Amino acid sequence: MTADESELLELRSSVREFLEAKSPEEAVRKLMESEPRFDPAVWAQAADQLRLPGLVIPEEYGGDGFGPVELGVVLEEMGRALLCAPFFATVVLAAQALLASGDSEACARHLPGIASGRTTATLAVAEDSGSWDPALISARAVPDGGGDGAWRLSGRKAFVIDGTTADLLLVVARTVAGPSLFAVDRRATGLEAEPMETLDATRAMARLTFDAVPATLVGADGAGGRVMAKVLDIATVGLAAEQAGGARRCLETSADYARTRHQFGRPIGSFQAVKHKCADMLVQVELAEAASREAARLAAEGAPDFPVAAAVAHACCSRAYVFAAMENIQVHGGIGFTWEHPAHLYFRRAKSSQLLFGGPAVYHERLLDRLGI
Amino acid sequence: MEQDMQDFAAEVRRFLDAHVTKAPDHTAFTWGEGDDTMAYFSSLPPEEEREHVQRAREWQRIRHENGFGWITGPPEYGGRGLTPVHDLLYDAIESEYDVADTGTLSVIGLGMIGPTILAHAQPRIKDRWLPAMYRGDAIACQLFSEPGAGSDLASVATKAVRDGEDWVLNGQKVWTSVAQHSQIGLALTRTNPDAPKHRGITAFLVPMDAPGVEVRPLRQMTGGADFNEVFLTDVRVPDDHRLGEVDGGWTVALTTLMNERATVGSEGAGPVAAALSPDRLSALMRATWTWDDRALRARLAELLVDAMATEHLNTRALRRLRGGVAPGPEMSVSKLMYGQNLTRAAHFVSDVLGPRVIADTGKWGTYAWSELLLATPALLILGGTEEIMKNILAERVLGLPKEPAVATTKEVRS
Ligand SMILES: Cc1cc2nc3c(=O)[nH]c(=O)nc-3n(C[C@H](O)[C@H](O)[C@H](O)COP(=O)(O)OP(=O)(O)OC[C@H]3O[C@@H](n4cnc5c(N)ncnc54)[C@H](O)[C@@H]3O)c2cc1C
Ligand SMILES: Cc1cc2nc3c(=O)[nH]c(=O)nc-3n(C[C@H](O)[C@H](O)[C@H](O)COP(=O)(O)OP(=O)(O)OC[C@H]3O[C@@H](n4cnc5c(N)ncnc54)[C@H](O)[C@@H]3O)c2cc1C
Repeated sequence: MTADESELLELRSSVREFLEAKSPEEAVRKLMESEPRFDPAVWAQAADQLRLPGLVIPEEYGGDGFGPVELGVVLEEMGRALLCAPFFATVVLAAQALLASGDSEACARHLPGIASGRTTATLAVAEDSGSWDPALISARAVPDGGGDGAWRLSGRKAFVIDGTTADLLLVVARTVAGPSLFAVDRRATGLEAEPMETLDATRAMARLTFDAVPATLVGADGAGGRVMAKVLDIATVGLAAEQAGGARRCLETSADYARTRHQFGRPIGSFQAVKHKCADMLVQVELAEAASREAARLAAEGAPDFPVAAAVAHACCSRAYVFAAMENIQVHGGIGFTWEHPAHLYFRRAKSSQLLFGGPAVYHERLLDRLGI
Repeated sequence: MEQDMQDFAAEVRRFLDAHVTKAPDHTAFTWGEGDDTMAYFSSLPPEEEREHVQRAREWQRIRHENGFGWITGPPEYGGRGLTPVHDLLYDAIESEYDVADTGTLSVIGLGMIGPTILAHAQPRIKDRWLPAMYRGDAIACQLFSEPGAGSDLASVATKAVRDGEDWVLNGQKVWTSVAQHSQIGLALTRTNPDAPKHRGITAFLVPMDAPGVEVRPLRQMTGGADFNEVFLTDVRVPDDHRLGEVDGGWTVALTTLMNERATVGSEGAGPVAAALSPDRLSALMRATWTWDDRALRARLAELLVDAMATEHLNTRALRRLRGGVAPGPEMSVSKLMYGQNLTRAAHFVSDVLGPRVIADTGKWGTYAWSELLLATPALLILGGTEEIMKNILAERVLGLPKEPAVATTKEVRS
């Protein structure tokens, strides 16, 4: 299904309205210090009232079958509100990994629960180095003697988003055939999850230890590399939308403050040093929105240049958000450096989003690689 | 609206297919093949330059004869009476074809001065000049900037004094592009030195062959001379050549500045876009054995991210235009990025080429880049400097307060 311009506007305003009510700054701050790092009641409402978890799940699996463009609108709004919710890990990482695996049995087993909001999920790829490169994975899976597609998985994963709370874990581990995707139940024996302290407390991360944990192969044995390449394109574009939304929010906050804060008898926004900072932020934000929305559109069309556009969006939005979040603090002066002011929440989210999938060194090379350079 | 646009687009394609051929794809590229020119400004010798302008006039005449000479203009002056959206759509489609570059006529004359004449000139002047301009017969230039009035355009000091039915103009204009090819120029003059600076300006259409008009080429840093100094010494201009009210010239100037055409889509084409083409840049890195240099790779990636994001911005604006939505702030962003992207590309390539851009080895595709390198500073100055563009973005889009004015008329009088 695809929404037209006015339906997209409607989607945006209903999500914004919902988040303004359910995820104001006080709520975000409370959740940042709670376990789980989200409000199950709000998550249930997001599912029941707005059907968000099922937005991009195909209709055959109980979702509404929308595409990357609609997903982008929702993620921009979530990024803007710094929503603490299992949406990114569940919908953008895990559900996309299931779909990319082409394993219809696994999809039929897990996606309806995800679509309804009952199941939360995540994708565990990186290990202690933080790299998402499947070639660097050392966690291993071996067939369980009992046969029947049952495996045992051992090793360590780190930086797993929502890793202590997700009901379903999709884990990339190595078999003799190469990196492969597995599904693991979070209550499985031999699995331990321990929260990691994070720069950005609005996105929980965990370290997982697997000791011969029962696992089910998802997709073909050895297909994990291909699945990951697809998922990373979609996930980085989803992240880009979140980043663009957060960056836009930083720009708006700065411009508001620059219009109203007076020093030297005039609004600080009338000083050109401040004015040009805001103009520079505007330029970055406009580019970021264009890059992330265009990438989403190309994804929806299945265009051959989508992978290039995904790499552009990831790099462009990462830089724009970090820039806007930094300048937002600067424009606010001393108050911007306080715990009470939300500027640092955006700064933390911006910097950790930029580095989530490896950071500049990785995303620059990904772009050049996609261009054949 | 959408249907109307589709019909118009189809008509444009029929016209272009009948008269010209599709342009070669500038982005598809093989190292060492084809034209390696990387010029932004013309660097042609005078004879070739004249031929170039002649070809431009000729193509404009063909456009005009087929109903595309002045898409937004009123029919009584040879226009088509359509919207700016049709105009932009035409440009976008034409950029896919191999047509004469009409920049000499269109950027300033047809794009900015024509609409100003239409809005503010007296009927006889409109009849005399508008059809001629859009038919390619008359070229117009913009006599705005002066040595003492650049960004602060309202400080113009060229004097105009009433003398019977005429006005007598004295002063100096500078940086006047295409004045050497122009038949008319739109001049801002000071008519009331005692009024606040915005309220003492009057605009005149000056025939460039009037006695006392002297055009002296100014050589720019690229070595060529696209712009000029224009000296006005006791130039007599009849009162009917006045645009707008006496002392009401600032309103006229604003019309000109507002008509600086949005350049949606058209930047995506032409040899200059080649400077930002991934294929060309990667071929360059292979040819220079630098493709595995990590520092250069990181810079290349940054450069391409900006170039491609800017392209996405333009694509999206163009798509909205096709749906009838007027361009928003993204067009100012696009202008700003255009200058920055080309500047960064020129420096990146120069750094890859190293000594080969400081002295000509005769090798294809190397020293040729020096032309673009030398042209890029202008892109951050002309049509409003980067600083002025940022002020505009912050004030008009973000609503930040203007700097407190320090309006004086003193410097104007001296
Ligand atoms: C960690 C820390 C420790 C501090 N310790 C002390 C301390 O011990 N004692 C103490 O007295 N103070 C202290 N300060 C306060 C510090 O000196 C002020 O925060 C600083 O002077 C800026 O003032 P402000 O926060 O009111 O911001 P504002 O002055 O409101 O500035 C907001 C923004 O506007 C810009 N701006 C303001 N005026 C102009 C202008 N004319 N031109 C261009 N831009 C302008 C600023 O650069 C800034 O980006 C501390 C601040 C911090 C962050
Ligand atoms: C290639 C080229 C072609 C041109 N063609 C034409 C033409 O056809 N007709 C015409 O009339 N003019 C033309 N111009 C002139 C052009 O419009 C001016 O050069 C431009 O507006 C800047 O004016 P200036 O050169 O006097 O620089 P200034 O205005 O003196 O500026 C000098 C520096 O000060 C900065 N500055 C000035 N005011 C401010 C401010 N308020 N805030 C912050 N910074 C500021 C500027 O950004 C710049 O960096 C052309 C210029 C070039 C380079």
